[in-house]
Amino acid sequence: MSQRKRSKGFGSSQMTDGEDDFIPTQTERRSQDQVNQKVSELVQFLLVKDQKKIPIKRADMLKNVIREYRDAYSEIVNKAGKTLQEVFGLQLVEIDSKRHTYILINNLPCAEGKYLCRDEEKEKMGLLLIILSFIFMKGNSVKDSALWEFLHLLRVYPGRQHQVFGDVRKLVTEEFVRQKYLEITPIPLTDPQEFKYQWGPRAEKEISKKDVLNAVAKIQGKDPTFWSSQYSEAEATR
Amino acid sequence: MLNSRSNRLTEALEEANALFDGVCRAREAALDAQFLVLASNIGKEKANELHSEMSAFDSTAFAEDLLTFMGINRTEETDDSEDDPGGFLPGDAWKRVGEEALKYFKRAPVFHYMLGSFKSEPPVPKQRIERQKKASRGKAEQAMPAQLKKMEESHQEATEKEVERILRILQTHFENDPNTPISFFDFVIDPNSFARTVENMFHVSFLIRDGLARIKLDEDELPVIEPTKPSGAGEEDSRAGARNQVIIRLDQREWKDIIETFEITEAMIPPLSQSPEEETELE
Repeated sequence: MSQRKRSKGFGSSQMTDGEDDFIPTQTERRSQDQVNQKVSELVQFLLVKDQKKIPIKRADMLKNVIREYRDAYSEIVNKAGKTLQEVFGLQLVEIDSKRHTYILINNLPCAEGKYLCRDEEKEKMGLLLIILSFIFMKGNSVKDSALWEFLHLLRVYPGRQHQVFGDVRKLVTEEFVRQKYLEITPIPLTDPQEFKYQWGPRAEKEISKKDVLNAVAKIQGKDPTFWSSQYSEAEATR
Repeated sequence: MLNSRSNRLTEALEEANALFDGVCRAREAALDAQFLVLASNIGKEKANELHSEMSAFDSTAFAEDLLTFMGINRTEETDDSEDDPGGFLPGDAWKRVGEEALKYFKRAPVFHYMLGSFKSEPPVPKQRIERQKKASRGKAEQAMPAQLKKMEESHQEATEKEVERILRILQTHFENDPNTPISFFDFVIDPNSFARTVENMFHVSFLIRDGLARIKLDEDELPVIEPTKPSGAGEEDSRAGARNQVIIRLDQREWKDIIETFEITEAMIPPLSQSPEEETELE
């Protein structure tokens, strides 16, 4: 599909919103313009939905955007993914093939030192990196008690208001989990109930184990090869 | 049992294996299965221990290095609080880590609207429907209590109105002649009705309570009443300070005596409307 054609479809989305007046019958072959309009609507929908970083469900896309174009679903999603890639440098990734949920990840290399994001977000990402690296370095799975013990050393206490993060327990166990950065599963036959923390599917997509290892190595002033098993794992999953 | 050099887990498994020969009931078999879950969990735990021994990852050292990275100030003496065990974290500590973290994450940037955005609101129409339902459901039962409430309200209003009316009368008298104190008896007593007198005293008590008027004794030790000047701070003080309770007792004979002694011929507070009951009470 040519660049020109797509941009045409993109512009028309702002002008008309008349899919309700025009209901094509199933037998009628849809024109390329109509599909393109759906594509640009979906692109906009995905961009706005991504703001909260909670995975986007296919059901929501169907319900809110695609509607009567259900039969052209895969075509529309593929084209929207292409537009996101070519125009915004974002990649549309399906993180759960059972429940059909999608996320957007940045596909462009980061410009050194230029991050357009609010301080609040920046600080959260700092905490997240620390948690993810702790989990990875500890063998991809840690107990909740071990994680909180570790965070305790960094002056982060689950039961208390943190001056930067506020309710840290909520941030870690609810926000990061809903965003699929973390996965918390109860360990069977434990009393009192214990949980294990692992990387969530979004973390797997957004950050590589090699990068995490490099970050840890940089902070500790060591070479990544110092941790041999993590190093070989990071190299293997690259 | 978790120690990597301990053989307890293997021993326990062998024992369970031997015991299983005697199993003949479902419950026993379930217990055996439960043991297997437990054993494999412990086995996993052991494997984890082994893993971290090999990896040589020291989380305490990592935390220390992180604190250094965040720019901790270790020289500062903060022994007084247990929250900061040795060292003081600068306000931008987490921002520094975040700055570093963003280099690694392929996170799609979050945008913001140049003209601001409206917050998405919860589905309002749904709530409205619920409220309407509730209202229609409760209509029948609510009819009665609603009426009752109205009566109470009107009664309350009547008292308030009367208190306000009396205050106005008091203020007019005072303004007409600010130098002559108004006798309390002259003010409240209605020579034509004992009941009205009592009512007037009742209403005046509200003025006193609200600090809108005050009663004091003149040089003849007789009570006089005057409105308090509505001027700022003094009023507030008197209101806060005056929390006394005084009971005024008045019977019909005293009432008659006072009328004779003070030669009260007409009420300073004209009755709102002459009702027949009050006429009969005169007898």
